[in-house]
Amino acid sequence: MLSPASGTGRFYRKSAKIIRFARHGCANRPFFHIVVTERRRTQKMPVIEQLGTFDPLENEHNEKLVSLNLERIIYWMGCGAHISRPVDQLFGLSGLLPIHPTLYMTAWRNRKEIENQAKEENNESATKT
Amino acid sequence: MLALNIISKSLTSPATKSAVNLQILRWRRKPRWVPVAKSKQFRIPSRPVIIEDEQIELKRLFNNYRTQMKSIKRHIVERFVASRAITTDPKDIQRIFDEDFARCNKINDEWNADIKSQRIKYFENALEENVNVAKASLQKRKELDQIKLEEAERIVAEQKELSKTFITADNIDEAIEHALANPVDYNFAVDLDGNKFYHKKT
Repeated sequence: MLSPASGTGRFYRKSAKIIRFARHGCANRPFFHIVVTERRRTQKMPVIEQLGTFDPLENEHNEKLVSLNLERIIYWMGCGAHISRPVDQLFGLSGLLPIHPTLYMTAWRNRKEIENQAKEENNESATKT
Repeated sequence: MLALNIISKSLTSPATKSAVNLQILRWRRKPRWVPVAKSKQFRIPSRPVIIEDEQIELKRLFNNYRTQMKSIKRHIVERFVASRAITTDPKDIQRIFDEDFARCNKINDEWNADIKSQRIKYFENALEENVNVAKASLQKRKELDQIKLEEAERIVAEQKELSKTFITADNIDEAIEHALANPVDYNFAVDLDGNKFYHKKT
């Protein structure tokens, strides 16, 4: 059963919280809620609060849509909540936190791959002519 | 664990005492007691190769990132703690209360002024509208009365015109005599051209 966005999860005041994704799509259609829960809870358990959404599939304008409740995110970070790595990366891209190094890594690896592909194509065309 | 839960639920719930509805879920491809396949027994998965330059750069980036995150988190936590700081000094409490009250009061006054102007405007408009509606209905009523009067006069004139041929107590004898003298025979047949045929026996 879906829990309301305000969350129904029970939690202890001093327990470890985490801001992470909860998958809410269906088969072959991922859709994520950005939620804050107790760290030991499983994904489908009731959450303390929903802090945003993330749609990993591009829409018709080739955009991946993200919504963040910045006020509450800052609040829960102030409470000492942890942040999972994918969410960390997302926050980095959104400008809330510094950009995560893995994003730089994937970026330079992609650039390198594109360069290599271009080089190969050039070589192929040179050998053909 | 999930499978265990389902088993225990299905066994304890009164609706499904038989194991017909029991469905065991498994997270892994294999059951727990099945050993590693012979072909995979001595397989060593290849380690990802990271170039040294890349590794140095990544290390630098990660160090920077961790330092920044640490300071940001500390800043946010400090701000949060400061925002929740509780004072026990009665003067401070009174000051905070007064400030809060003044702020709320200001917002309230603004809303009230806004609503007041809206209300005045609304009532002015409503009065004007009511007057207009009343005038319109009065006009309509007058028109209807006029029409009714004309209709009544028309009917009266018609009846006056007709009353000349009425049979009254004065001329009833005359009318009877006239009727007896001029009997009307309706016993006739009509052909397609409208010719009347009286008492014609074939």
